[in-house]
Amino acid sequence: MRRSIPLVAVALGAALTLTACAGSDPEPEESAAAEETEAADGGALTVWVDETRQAAVEAAAADFEAETGADVELVLKNFDDIRADFLAQVPTGEGPDITVGAHDWLGEMTANGVVAPIELGDLAGDFADVAVEAFTYDGQVYGLPYAIENIAIIRNTALADSTPATWDEMIAKGRAAGTTYPFLVQVDEKGDPYTMYPLQTSFGAPVFAQAEDGSYTSDLALGGETGNAFATWLKAQADAGVLSTSMTYDIAVQAFADGESPYILGGPWMLEQFADLDLAIDPIPSAGGQPAQPFTGVAGFYVNAQSENQVLATDFLTNFMATEEAQIAIYEAGNRPPALTAAAETVSEDPITAGFLAVGEGALPMPSIPEMGSVWSFWGVTEAGIISGSIEPVAGWEKMVTDIQAAIDAS
Amino acid sequence: MSSPHVPQATPTDGAPQSDEAGRDVRVVPPRGGASHARTWSRGFLAKLVLLAVVDALGVYVAMAALAQESYGILWVMVALLVVTNWVYFSRRAVPLKYFLPGLAFLLVYQVFVVGYTGYVAFTNYGDGHNSTKAHAVDALLIQNEQRLEDSATYPLAVVEGGGGLGFAVLDGDEVRVGTADEPLADAPDAVVVDGDITEVPGYEVLSRAQVLERQTEVTALRVPYSDEADAGSVRTQDARNGYLYRSTLVYDEAADTMTDTETGTVYEPNRDGQFEAADGSTLAVGWRVPVGFDNFTTAFGDPRYSTPFFKVLVWTVVFALLSVALTFFVGLFFAVVLNDDRIRFRRVLRSFLILPYAFPAFMSYLLWRGMLNKDYGFVNTVLLGGADLNWLSDPWLAKIAILGVQVWVGFPYMFLICTGALQSIPGDLVEAAKIDGAGRLRLWRSITLPLVLVATAPLLISSFAFNFNNFNIIEMITEGNPRFPDASVPVGSTDILITMVYSVSGLDGGAAKNYGLASALSIVIFVIVATISVISFKRTRSLEEIN
Amino acid sequence: MATHTVSAPAARRGRRPADQHTAVTGRRWWSELGWRYVVAGLAIVYAGFPILYVISASFASGGTLTGSNQLFGTITGDNYAALNDTRFWSWVSNTLVIATVTALGTVLMGAAAAYAFSRFRFTGRRVGLTTLLVIQMFPQLLAFVAVFLLLLALGDVVPALGLNSRLALIMVYLGGALGVNTFLMYGFFNTVPKELDEAAKIDGATHAQVYWTIILRLVSPILAVVGLLSFISSFSDFLLAKLILQSEENWTLAVGLYQWVADRLSANWGLFAAGAVISAVPVVLLFIFLQKYIVGGLTAGSVKG
Repeated sequence: MRRSIPLVAVALGAALTLTACAGSDPEPEESAAAEETEAADGGALTVWVDETRQAAVEAAAADFEAETGADVELVLKNFDDIRADFLAQVPTGEGPDITVGAHDWLGEMTANGVVAPIELGDLAGDFADVAVEAFTYDGQVYGLPYAIENIAIIRNTALADSTPATWDEMIAKGRAAGTTYPFLVQVDEKGDPYTMYPLQTSFGAPVFAQAEDGSYTSDLALGGETGNAFATWLKAQADAGVLSTSMTYDIAVQAFADGESPYILGGPWMLEQFADLDLAIDPIPSAGGQPAQPFTGVAGFYVNAQSENQVLATDFLTNFMATEEAQIAIYEAGNRPPALTAAAETVSEDPITAGFLAVGEGALPMPSIPEMGSVWSFWGVTEAGIISGSIEPVAGWEKMVTDIQAAIDAS
Repeated sequence: MSSPHVPQATPTDGAPQSDEAGRDVRVVPPRGGASHARTWSRGFLAKLVLLAVVDALGVYVAMAALAQESYGILWVMVALLVVTNWVYFSRRAVPLKYFLPGLAFLLVYQVFVVGYTGYVAFTNYGDGHNSTKAHAVDALLIQNEQRLEDSATYPLAVVEGGGGLGFAVLDGDEVRVGTADEPLADAPDAVVVDGDITEVPGYEVLSRAQVLERQTEVTALRVPYSDEADAGSVRTQDARNGYLYRSTLVYDEAADTMTDTETGTVYEPNRDGQFEAADGSTLAVGWRVPVGFDNFTTAFGDPRYSTPFFKVLVWTVVFALLSVALTFFVGLFFAVVLNDDRIRFRRVLRSFLILPYAFPAFMSYLLWRGMLNKDYGFVNTVLLGGADLNWLSDPWLAKIAILGVQVWVGFPYMFLICTGALQSIPGDLVEAAKIDGAGRLRLWRSITLPLVLVATAPLLISSFAFNFNNFNIIEMITEGNPRFPDASVPVGSTDILITMVYSVSGLDGGAAKNYGLASALSIVIFVIVATISVISFKRTRSLEEIN
Repeated sequence: MATHTVSAPAARRGRRPADQHTAVTGRRWWSELGWRYVVAGLAIVYAGFPILYVISASFASGGTLTGSNQLFGTITGDNYAALNDTRFWSWVSNTLVIATVTALGTVLMGAAAAYAFSRFRFTGRRVGLTTLLVIQMFPQLLAFVAVFLLLLALGDVVPALGLNSRLALIMVYLGGALGVNTFLMYGFFNTVPKELDEAAKIDGATHAQVYWTIILRLVSPILAVVGLLSFISSFSDFLLAKLILQSEENWTLAVGLYQWVADRLSANWGLFAAGAVISAVPVVLLFIFLQKYIVGGLTAGSVKG
């Protein structure tokens, strides 16, 4: 036994070591080289998708393949990785022809010249205005939108019959329900300014000022009296035990699913976990007196600026992904309301989706200007710090505004 | 197998003895007397065959590189081949015969990475400077070619005639056709079936497959609408519909300038890799250029980075040191405890102890992150019976938590090494000490610990270096939080240098990406950790020699 | 011949005479052995409870990993059954192939280098050793830019060495074959008495024969250790693997499992836990199988027996 190992090693390895000598291919193992997309006559497309959209895009791709003879290869990626990988790979001539993405990446994508404009033509009118606007930069449209998403109050109808219009009333009603939590919202250790945003806007402190046509300027607007009031309010809610940094997404969703709270502030992506509950979607109550406006996020497809298959890619997007059928398929895969108006109308028959769409009408598009990149991390950690008590509300908020301004000036 | 027999009568290839180890004396002349390097022994044959295979593969790669015009790869491959053959057929360079395999891989896959990162550190690679100048010019031209506001949609067909590719468009009910050089003109005899243009006299209508084969030509084609430049040109993206576009930016290749056709502003390339106008305004998309030491100056000159830097450096060193020390002592302790032949089920017990090691580390980090949650985590609610310890957002507790997880993840490795080292302590040494009356503690302090330490020193140093850059544990458990309340960049009290680099350079999406700065900081980190390691490595070696 | 010197490493095991096993009882048993069991028990609890937690989650129906503290509250095999609907098993086979080949390559190349360091004296030997140690310390954070470019260029020439190839990933791992492992082996090689090779050489053996037929046999324990360490590290690496293996059918376990939990909006902890439990099995088995060698195999530097 003792010698069997060296024996095996020598036997197996004799070939291996010396072959490896030249620094070339030592293992006879067959390689799984990328199936280079040199496919059939119809051409070939590579599309990056994430898990929640995979099935839906697959269906559209199958139609496309059948009709045009083209070959579509779907590459499954983490949604979080797509942005950086796309930016890194496109300049090398690699990267997909098409990728899914969010509209708020647009500033960075165009600044780096990695996305090609898509001419929607008359199709533009078929989409919700906010969706096309979100993908418009400097007068050009850079993405084919497929879904619009925003958060709202998800209510467990068994525990509460309505959502009051103000925060304090809602919390009171939540407490009256006698559940473990009056209200659930994820905060996490690094904060979640996206989810908190409607509460912040209800104090009249949007992140950037908007020009008259609705586009964002690079002037920060989250500071000042209104911002400080929001910061103070955060602290008060944390002291009252309503907000806590230990409430992560996982825990909040699980608690709501277990019936431990009548309300949760969240988006359509949570619905899958609440399949057993009877739900209603309500507008977000105001905490600061003004309307609580959440961010609207638009998801869409970008085309690689260096793609050699522009014709095929544009064809696939405008003629196969912009159909009611395809948009509804994506909706069914992820519950996000479609961007195509006709599809949105169809799915509005579902009261839940209609509820999200209704809240979305008052929502603000998430800024896609490049300056937005400098905001997120400061914003999140400051909110989390105030909630956990490690940061003084007003002073901390003011410092955050200064730091964000400095970061914007520096970049 | 019998005891390792030395093949006594098989003189084979190889160098004279004196090559093997310089100080070896050539005591006895080789038996058999023959010049064995040319003897056709089994070993020599094996070598020949293997080298033949290697050479064949190498030549194949070199030929492929030549065909692809990848001259970098070609030369590296040729060099490797020459060196390989020289090394294995020469009688000199015996040590190299043993190094070459690993060395080749090391050079290609590691040294290159280090070198390339070094190169990036001296460029402004990052957002806005993401690619080459040619790409930037392309992107600017694409972005600034705008559809005319009143442009109708023109269903079109791609055609080919004497003047190259062209478009046949349906303008109302009329078919008009043109190429890049000839503006659209009426084609009265064209045939239209169900809205599709099927025939155009003088031109061949391309099929879908033909169009797809020539996609880049088709998307690059611009057919002027009329003789007037202001009327714009027809272009298409999907080869089905065309629209009128006009470009607001023109690139003059000879002068290397961009001109805005509306304002007449001329943009010239500047040293930062952007097109800049006389008034200092720049165009959005830039390209990568070398910037000298700018990134290093920013890293140390910009107070936003340099202020938290030293705080983070201190914690990084403390974290790396404690990680090694704690895992080492826990591992050593368990190793000592189980290092007794009389213990039953020792194999089973040991196997249980390495369980944490069998789990991919990132899984363990995510798991612990959940278990450390203040209100709902297993640690607080079950283990500590409902304690209210803020493991992840108190600066001190977060540090302790990180170290605690590190001990759990890392001790099995130390347990393994220490078990080995303990086994190698000569029994007679221990017996001798016992006879001299050394107690258990004494034995441990004067014999066991020093010997184990010496035996494992290089591994401890490399473990230190690994933890110095242990990005995953920090990023997956705390992401550097809780944040320093007074820092002006998002850096926190559990951030180590490498995670700080990650966030300040925008790689996490929290700021504009700056690969140049990130690379420069990586180099700085590398210099720090390498210096510390080399010094401690030298010192342990002197320690080793004293022993 | 030479059997008297061969016994050096072998002599290390069983340094206590076997007859001591029986004699110990009572208080002395406690002070010499009993407490060891207690400590071992505690150690196992410490090492094992988070794993118990994962196992419990793998049998739970739905739910989240972080949201439930009731161990084995529900027991169902659904998560394991669901693995069959994914590419889990092809990830398992990819991982095993990649980790095994990498381990073999690492052992062979590392052992050769360690032999040279241990037995030959040449200029640059010390510097070489130090350089090997140091170069591995380069922060890999930015490797994705460089590795990506490198594989892109190689892939143009030889597709099998380009992106999305398992072979390319193995190659990249083998780039780290010399390094810490060389150190481990170097130390062990030094414990093999030089007289042994010298005796063989006097008998006419070449350096290659000494290496292949004598040394490699004597150092087998350290080969097993390095093999195991290399196996584990490529087994659990996911940064490089994620970068290189782009299409799902080529993924390794670490990449696939990470994908299941990376997107918190669609995190699939049940599948993840079940996959994690199964994927830990090969490593544990390997350890149990190789344990005899591993325990004898780790030693270095000046502990020269």
